[in-house]
Amino acid sequence: MIQPQTLLNVADNSGARELMCIRIIGAGNHRYAHIGDVIVAVIKEAVPNMPLERSEIIRAVIVRTCKELKRENGMIIRYDDNAAVVIDQEGNPKGTRVFGAIARELRQLNFTKIVSLAPEVL
Amino acid sequence: MHALAALPSSPQLRDALALESMRTAAATRWCWRRRPPPRMHSSSRFPSSLHTVRCQRRPDHEVSGGDTDDMFDDLFKKYGKVVYKSSDQKRPTAEADDDAESLSFAVTLAKVANEVKAADIRVLFVKPLVYWTRFFIIVTAFSRPQIDAIGSRIRDTAEKQFNKIASGDTKPNSWTLLDFGDVVVHIFLPQQRAYYNLEEFYGNATPVELPFDNQSPFRN
Repeated sequence: MIQPQTLLNVADNSGARELMCIRIIGAGNHRYAHIGDVIVAVIKEAVPNMPLERSEIIRAVIVRTCKELKRENGMIIRYDDNAAVVIDQEGNPKGTRVFGAIARELRQLNFTKIVSLAPEVL
Repeated sequence: MHALAALPSSPQLRDALALESMRTAAATRWCWRRRPPPRMHSSSRFPSSLHTVRCQRRPDHEVSGGDTDDMFDDLFKKYGKVVYKSSDQKRPTAEADDDAESLSFAVTLAKVANEVKAADIRVLFVKPLVYWTRFFIIVTAFSRPQIDAIGSRIRDTAEKQFNKIASGDTKPNSWTLLDFGDVVVHIFLPQQRAYYNLEEFYGNATPVELPFDNQSPFRN
């Protein structure tokens, strides 16, 4: 359940550390974003000496949410944090590696690039 | 319940049936699930039967361990160690067949990429590392039109020869990804290839030998 003003961790090595969601893309009238949704976000905290800076506006894909994700087979996945991966306008990830476990739903949503950089896919 | 009632009533006969099915290597869950009543009936009368073993195993703390262990040893000697097997597993040969099919598909795609002058073609067998696909094809192209050419040729071949349709990028991109399910094709510009360095990330994957000359002396 990500909405504008939500703070998210960054699950890659792009150089951002914390993001704030300011808009959900393609949501229309929906209030919340879930795993696999693209958001517009502001970088609230960044790693020094990296290409991304504080207060830059970027796009990101949500890869983990505290709100549980339900699957058809009854499986429920819930993570400890809200996390996103920074992408560019074309959909390529800005970082070169993704950290932590991510859900396989991302592959169905055409984020196979993120899946192929991730160490673990649930 | 009707089905169960239709089974032969003698517990001996039931045990014989169960043992027979075990011997014919169909000793899967099916055997245990479909015939729960014999377990209950035969447990006290026929201590040497397989059903008895199951029965005594359930209440572990009530039965003395020595008897059960001996019984298991005897059974293992008789029937081998694999008494219980999950029924949803594929046969190993079926698995190998699937792999071989994906391999031929991957090699064909790599050949197609080679025809369109893609450089530095690598086919990696990543199935042991990730569960979600079997083969990665990593390819370098030198311009976006070339990426487009490689992508559309690969798509056409896959659709015509193998009847598979790719998901992933539709427009040429600096990292274009074509996802055929078992085979995932990555087409990079040289810069992006060095940046993402997928070969290093999947360094433990087995590279597949390709049937054509993979050097590109002019470009590199």
